[in-house]
Amino acid sequence: MFLSFLKIGCLLLGGGYVIVPLLRSELIEKNNWINEEDIVNFYALGQCVPGIIAINTTLFVGYKLRGKTGALAAFFGLILPPFLAIIFLASILIKLAQNVIANDIFWGVNVAIIILLFLTVKEVWKNSIVDKFTFFIFLGILLMSIFGISPSISIVLSAISGILYKKITKPNKADEISGGGE
Amino acid sequence: MIYLYLFLEFLKIGLFSFGGGYATMPFLYHMSETYGWFSLSELSRMLAISSITPGPVGLNVATFAGFKTAGITGSITATLAIMLPSFVIVIFISKMLKKFSDNFYIKSALYALRPAAAAMIAAVGIRLFKDSIITNTASVSAINFIDIKALILFLFLFAISLKLKRDPLIYLLIGGICGILLHFRHITDLF
Repeated sequence: MFLSFLKIGCLLLGGGYVIVPLLRSELIEKNNWINEEDIVNFYALGQCVPGIIAINTTLFVGYKLRGKTGALAAFFGLILPPFLAIIFLASILIKLAQNVIANDIFWGVNVAIIILLFLTVKEVWKNSIVDKFTFFIFLGILLMSIFGISPSISIVLSAISGILYKKITKPNKADEISGGGE
Repeated sequence: MIYLYLFLEFLKIGLFSFGGGYATMPFLYHMSETYGWFSLSELSRMLAISSITPGPVGLNVATFAGFKTAGITGSITATLAIMLPSFVIVIFISKMLKKFSDNFYIKSALYALRPAAAAMIAAVGIRLFKDSIITNTASVSAINFIDIKALILFLFLFAISLKLKRDPLIYLLIGGICGILLHFRHITDLF
């Protein structure tokens, strides 16, 4: 299992959702350890809990297969290749800091990062800013962040305001909120 | 002592970040402001390299920032700290799976958390924009406050983004190549 996740760690490139097809090919097609529905569920859950989505999904799958040890084995398998790659690149980068050409490359790359950040915002925006309240949260947190309020405080405040808002408006939106743990 | 701060800061990211790899950026930015472990442009480089290295971006950037701050021990500290909350939560939740994602409180909190995460990422984007385009100290441009070259590259990449999908590799590659081309004098200086 450690080896399977080691392989996924090598192949995983980019955002969290990329892990789904990789898990499918390693865990279902090659080893038949888990079923399709589980992977999709774990990925959905991975987005509902804090932390890095790919890591959350991996921990869920590992835990399902072999309990706590399984979760840890999957985690360490997944992170080992990128961990070594980053240490390697970080050491090189420190040596390159004085190089003019390398600095020019990073000058351009830094501009590209701004675009990538805004594209991420656009992507999240599509699924999350759905009404006046979510738009208000977006503006409020944007202002707070610009004025240097700690992200942890922003997160806690928005979670609380979301719960309060849904509590207040619950009678009107009773259809939208399914039973669950109320 | 630095390991303790590093551990606590990355524990916070693991506990409070929602919405994928780039959602860790607001926390790292706040960290650079508070502790000065790395500068904003260093952070931007780390994110760029993390995006094109295999592995989850959020984890890569944590490893990188940890390494930058306190070497290999630092990177191990950061990596473990960022996963610890997930580990505890996953073990806790695995016992009641389905009920959890349908829970009223979880749903309502996430309803507000997603726009909040988007806003925090946007704030980092605005700050980076300000730093690299409005006043770029490395700029050789005659106009004082705007780095024309950076602005041109930004608008060019923006135009591309309307056509292409969000694949980090393409943007970073174009950015890097343009970085060399727009400073071609540096290359001719070499010879």
